[in-house]
Amino acid sequence: MATLSSDLIWEITRGSSSTLVKRKQGGGVQFSRDPLNLRNQYRRKYEGLVSDKAIGVQPNKEGGVTLLTKKANKANQPSKQIQSSTFGSQRSTRKTYAGIVNSTTKRNYRPDLRKDAVARASAIRKSQKPVKADKPAKLRGAKARAAEA
Amino acid sequence: MSRPTVTIIGADGAASGNTHPVPEVFKSPIRPDIVHSVHTGMNKNRRQPYAVSEKAGHQTSAESWGTGRAVARIPRVSGGGTHRAGQAAFGNQCRSGRMFAPTKVWRKWHQKINLGQKRFATASALAASSSAALLLARGHHISAVPEVPLVVSSTAFADAAIAKTSAAIALLKAVGAGADIEKVKKSRKLRAGKGKLRGRRYKQRRGPLVVYNPDEDGKELVYAFRNISGVETSSVYALNLLQLAPGGHLGRFIVWTSSAFAALDKIYGSTTEPSALKKDFLLPSTIMKQPDLNKIINSSEVQNVLRPVRGGAVTKRTLAQKKNPLKNKQVQLRLNPYAAAFAKQKLGQAKVEGGKPERVDQTYKDTLHEN
Repeated sequence: MATLSSDLIWEITRGSSSTLVKRKQGGGVQFSRDPLNLRNQYRRKYEGLVSDKAIGVQPNKEGGVTLLTKKANKANQPSKQIQSSTFGSQRSTRKTYAGIVNSTTKRNYRPDLRKDAVARASAIRKSQKPVKADKPAKLRGAKARAAEA
Repeated sequence: MSRPTVTIIGADGAASGNTHPVPEVFKSPIRPDIVHSVHTGMNKNRRQPYAVSEKAGHQTSAESWGTGRAVARIPRVSGGGTHRAGQAAFGNQCRSGRMFAPTKVWRKWHQKINLGQKRFATASALAASSSAALLLARGHHISAVPEVPLVVSSTAFADAAIAKTSAAIALLKAVGAGADIEKVKKSRKLRAGKGKLRGRRYKQRRGPLVVYNPDEDGKELVYAFRNISGVETSSVYALNLLQLAPGGHLGRFIVWTSSAFAALDKIYGSTTEPSALKKDFLLPSTIMKQPDLNKIINSSEVQNVLRPVRGGAVTKRTLAQKKNPLKNKQVQLRLNPYAAAFAKQKLGQAKVEGGKPERVDQTYKDTLHEN
């Protein structure tokens, strides 16, 4: 089955799509809900729905990140289209980024998205760190004296 | 040239081993603008006329009191003994008055749409339904669907095998449409506004459209599918744009029976062969053979006639910091190849030949300043 060109699909979907989130704030900013969109911005370059090849980085349930890529020759087979691989939380962040780059950019798969993929993975890993509890506030002045007494 | 094919899957969701060439209608141009305008028109053609009563607001014998009574000259209800007497009537601004521009049943409710446009839009919507990306963009949950377009073998429907809703649900789940049905079920919401009182209480998404061939698949499947929310059925001979592109948005998820899929070539014909069932109809042909712009740009035909890239391997580095050629010798050399020889021979340090200019003698100065 011949596939449609991504240019045509973009022209059809750029105004309305299930992944498109339009907001009136921020000068009518347009976001995307697409898991294959690395920046969550509804743009031709980043919209994974549209392109033959796309990269997605999603948080993993057990920590770490999942790398999603689209198989270009499976455009008509939705169940086989997405290739996913997991980088667990035990893997160091540097090795995670290297793994992402090795399986995408180094294989000439969307090299233009390299920076965004690594940045997203980094942001996800950062968000998964445990939140440090605030230090108890050191009392000063009259309160400190009252506490001491 | 062999045409691309679609695998026919069995009732269990596994490939049956049979394939079918993709009907010509799936190659029609996809034109969202035509689909949208035809959908707008067709959507109007189901409307029931409504209007307020002809008498509303005029069932009183009110007359104006004229001037001199220090009240507005609007007609007022005559008589006495009731609150209504003396109240203003008829005007659209009055309580219990007639509405402004009362609605009439002879409003223009329906629209004529050219048959050619309707057929174009249908073909376009069918072609769009063969793209997984457009299905996803419409919001269908198809991540478990083995192939798009999804063709289920007609043997699964033979002898009224799908006559019960439970069998129909099992079939849809087996072919990967379960998620889409689930989505519809969850999407059911109370409608905002008066529509709730007018028989349109709930709103929900649309699920898959099951297209069958009544001659071979029978009609029992209609009963089986009709109580699954969001799922619609349609005969392949009576496809409707309102179902193929709900809301005017392309990419409805369609589950074809193999006999319906096979009938498409007979129904729509091709761009050169007229349709067997539609009078004077040829499928619209695409204006662009190759809609992929990257492929066009990188094609040998285009690349052959382009001038070679100027500057070759050296590209302008816009982001690099500019170096001062007066201080940076390498940059200076690039701009001025003579600089090397100039420096080597120490020409910059050499005294100007001939030394200082000769002093003029005193008589010359005196003559110059003489008054």
